[in-house]
Amino acid sequence: MPRRLLIVGGGDGGTILANRLARRLRPEELEIEVIDKEEIHFYQPGFLFVAFGEASREGISKPRRKLYSKGVRFTRAEVREIDPGERRVRLSSGEEKPYDYLVIATGSVLNYEDIDGFREGANHIWTIEDAEKLYQALKNFKGGTIVVGVGGLTYKCPVAPLEIAFLTDEFLRARGLREKSEIKFISPLERPYGPRLLNRVVVERMKDRGIEPITFFTVDRIDPQRREVHSLEGESLRYDMLVLSPPHRGADVILNSGIGDEEGWIPVDKHYLRLRDYDDAFAIGDATNLPVPKTGVIAHFEASTVADNIYYELRGMERRAMFDGQSFCVIEMGREQASAQVSNYYYTEAPGLIPTRVLHLAKLAMNNMYWTCILGGYI
Amino acid sequence: MSEIKPTVTVDARGMSCPGPLTNLIKAYRKANVGDVIEVLATDPGFKPDLEAWIRRTGNEIISITEEGGTIRALIRVSSK
Repeated sequence: MPRRLLIVGGGDGGTILANRLARRLRPEELEIEVIDKEEIHFYQPGFLFVAFGEASREGISKPRRKLYSKGVRFTRAEVREIDPGERRVRLSSGEEKPYDYLVIATGSVLNYEDIDGFREGANHIWTIEDAEKLYQALKNFKGGTIVVGVGGLTYKCPVAPLEIAFLTDEFLRARGLREKSEIKFISPLERPYGPRLLNRVVVERMKDRGIEPITFFTVDRIDPQRREVHSLEGESLRYDMLVLSPPHRGADVILNSGIGDEEGWIPVDKHYLRLRDYDDAFAIGDATNLPVPKTGVIAHFEASTVADNIYYELRGMERRAMFDGQSFCVIEMGREQASAQVSNYYYTEAPGLIPTRVLHLAKLAMNNMYWTCILGGYI
Repeated sequence: MSEIKPTVTVDARGMSCPGPLTNLIKAYRKANVGDVIEVLATDPGFKPDLEAWIRRTGNEIISITEEGGTIRALIRVSSK
């Protein structure tokens, strides 16, 4: 009898995990099923490029069914409850699915309720629809004050607000509007970006591009009528366009199943990604409460770790793959240049690299490699 | 002196910058004036970041202690 692996969530983590195992094990050894409620898979880092007219919805998406290796079954359905005690998952249709191994890769969802006025007042790039809306807003912008920055806390891709600021600068310059515009970057921290060494690179580039950093600005509420954003520290800024990261939380199914913390993030052990008290259930990607950024690269490396350990176990070996918190991030800085940063659990202050065109090209190369090498589970 | 009991604890041990301060700010958003927030952190950069945040926001550090590599800060919310 084959063992049965159920993967809840078909984002990059769930897809990489499924494909990595399907290429190494026969269906007689392991049945693999991925459940996701959406038919289309988006390459989420591409939303940034959609917002600036450099990519289209079609160019950064594919039907999920085309992404899986032979041996992976994809089921389009909504999961209502996960019960690791009973080793089963309940769908909204009422159907129950048992498993031998479970991987929860449910990602994160936007939590607009956390900031009054966010939905009406702020633009962002965290969904394809919002990225497209931002592109329209930028095209219609005639000059004025653009406030960019960190809105809600806990959000996907810590550097995305910085990238938006730099690409906005470039976009306005190309359209001859930069002289008529101000770009302000707000951050709740003491500096625009947390890690100090990369922050130096960021601040220098902001100075070069005339972007004004405004620190210790924790967004409290937004007044869309007056076009003002108010901080918890008592300041307010007027804007003509506001682009902020929205607050995120864990998926509803995690909160409904009682397996997450109060924001819906799942506690797991930091190296093997096991749910507490369960040896056959894992969580990867944004869904976890690990002290690492919520980014695709983290989901990628976590998926590889869990896939390898399931493989070892099914082949009678010890689980020996360990996730070490590894992250790698390329940061677009405009003018076809990018910086980059690496970190892991133990090494968090790597120097931020001087922005170069080579790193920008690396980011573009990754956009293409994603669909083949990365999602295919080859690397 | 009697021990001050925190209203809420932010356990940011194992988090690197800006995690501890970010989690403090999240707790601060939900807190009321008079609340005491306890932060546990292991990132050595947390202390200077916290001190800068206190200077800017006008809140109050009741105490900062360090034991076994864990920094424990008690912060009274006095300004919102």
